[in-house]
Amino acid sequence: MKNKITKYYPLIPLLAAYLLLLLIGKNISGMWQLVAMLIFYCAMGQAFNIFLGMTGYVDFGYVAFMGVGTYGMALAITHLSHIKGLGILIIIIGFALAIVMSTLLSMAVGAVALRLRGAYFAIATIGVNEGFRFLIEGARIWNGSEGLIFTAQLNQILGRETASSLMTFWADIIVLIIAVLAAFVTLYYMKSKIGYALTALREDEDAAKVMGINVTKYKIIAFITSACFAGLVGATSWALKTPYVFPPEVFEIHYTIEAIIIVLLGGAGTLLGPVVGGLIYGISKYYLAIFMPGFQLLIFAPVIIIIIVLFPEGVVGMLKRRVKGSALAKFII
Amino acid sequence: MILEQLAGNLIQGLVLGAVYGMATMGLSLIFGVLKVVNVGHGAFIMVGAFVTLWLFNTLGINPILAVPVAFAIGMGLGFIFYYTTMQRLIKAPELATLLATFSLGILLEELIKLIFGSEFRGYNWVVGKINIGVTVFPMAKLYACIGSALIAVLLYLWFNKTRAGSAVRSVVEDSEGARVCGINVGGAYALSFSLGIGLTVASGVLLTMFIPVGINPYMGGGYTLKAFVIAVLGGLSSPYGAFFGGLVFGLIENGSYTIFALLPGVEPFALTRFLSFVILLAILLIKPTGILSRK
Repeated sequence: MKNKITKYYPLIPLLAAYLLLLLIGKNISGMWQLVAMLIFYCAMGQAFNIFLGMTGYVDFGYVAFMGVGTYGMALAITHLSHIKGLGILIIIIGFALAIVMSTLLSMAVGAVALRLRGAYFAIATIGVNEGFRFLIEGARIWNGSEGLIFTAQLNQILGRETASSLMTFWADIIVLIIAVLAAFVTLYYMKSKIGYALTALREDEDAAKVMGINVTKYKIIAFITSACFAGLVGATSWALKTPYVFPPEVFEIHYTIEAIIIVLLGGAGTLLGPVVGGLIYGISKYYLAIFMPGFQLLIFAPVIIIIIVLFPEGVVGMLKRRVKGSALAKFII
Repeated sequence: MILEQLAGNLIQGLVLGAVYGMATMGLSLIFGVLKVVNVGHGAFIMVGAFVTLWLFNTLGINPILAVPVAFAIGMGLGFIFYYTTMQRLIKAPELATLLATFSLGILLEELIKLIFGSEFRGYNWVVGKINIGVTVFPMAKLYACIGSALIAVLLYLWFNKTRAGSAVRSVVEDSEGARVCGINVGGAYALSFSLGIGLTVASGVLLTMFIPVGINPYMGGGYTLKAFVIAVLGGLSSPYGAFFGGLVFGLIENGSYTIFALLPGVEPFALTRFLSFVILLAILLIKPTGILSRK
């Protein structure tokens, strides 16, 4: 019984960090924009970490799941807005559609890519976002390259006031809830059979296979879970916060890269890593944009190389090693 | 009429394909020897394009002569990056090399943007046109095609007729065995890596002859994806496979564009790029060793 409670101790620093963020955002004027951005990065990192962190596979097309999630919400709102009396229910249908669509895409991609390893996996996934974007634009699906704009529909369904408070405040709260959910799932996976199987797989896939672990099954579980959370983040952060969707924006590979940087900075495969990474990345990006506009990537690129070469474990990874055996070890994983 | 157009486009595709193939040889060489995927591949092509632009617009140097200059710059970049970063990551998990090469690509893009700005640029090299009946070729494209074939032959000779080339081949076969035989494996890695980067930067020069006004710091992204498709067509680890993969890809790209353009209500350019992604997945699914390899 005691073991069951200590299992969830690492959520304490995690929830404390998010609570602190909320308090700062609510009470210091002008800070909400930064806080919203930090929440977005933490959520994206937390979602991506479930796959990248736990399996060690790099999915360069990750943003495609966020993109189809955005389309899920956009399609629900544009196609159902004429039905009277749906109200807030339309948002829930949107989330359901986002989950369904990102699951379907991840199953399709996973069916091909997860048979492959290492470099081949990365090559197979690097084109997923571009491929999907060109399919939408080329075949003129969902209004093609013109995208979907649904501010008017959102206003009409929810009323102008509710819609605007959704865009400026509640969407961010929903992203935060998604981030916390993703953290719960990560911790649950880590402490269950799935986590142990994935650790074995990450260390030595062949050995894991020989030991009788069904590696494919666990890879697929992690992949789909991660994709679903990405879809939810897209549906909220992109579709609800800014009610329009254009294919080149939601399939932009730079979001994948940001997610990778965040996970790596914090420590791949740790629970707290994405939060630490998201905070460090978000805060530095925000202030670099103010003080040195246009130079963020020029600074981040060499920083990533340095981290990979000198600190491959990330902040939480190093911290974890430091506190090993002490009383703090229970809180940091 | 349509057949004539198709024939013309296919010939154009073959010429472009030769350059695509040459632009992918560096990627395949690096993967073949070091087992590293250079995810920043397109950025090196972009560097080559800017070398051409700079030499032509400021010094008036012929783009053909820019090829050796770009090759030397690429070799230099390759050596620097190998000894500062790649050397430490050879034994690390794939994640590390993938991210390091990707970040290097971003770094190069941002540096070039800082120096040249991010607008589209171009140069105007007038060398005339040639009419072959079904299509009209600018001479520059033919020069690029011939240059690519020549470089491919030179690489082949280097691999098979020189001591350094044999050393690299022995490392590909069995790096431990090569070490026992007294071959400097680290040196072979460094040489192959910088040779691969040199070839890629040089290919950027030849590619500008197809897009004389499309030079931009972010132009490389599209080429990275194309290069992966081509490399996978050719079996990923063989530079010659990549060259022939390029020819096949050029034919597919131009042929499918002609056919998609006949369909109503679609954007043929975007669909062509979608098709290349589908081909990539299909080959990886059916025959990851490449359709051109015998294995």
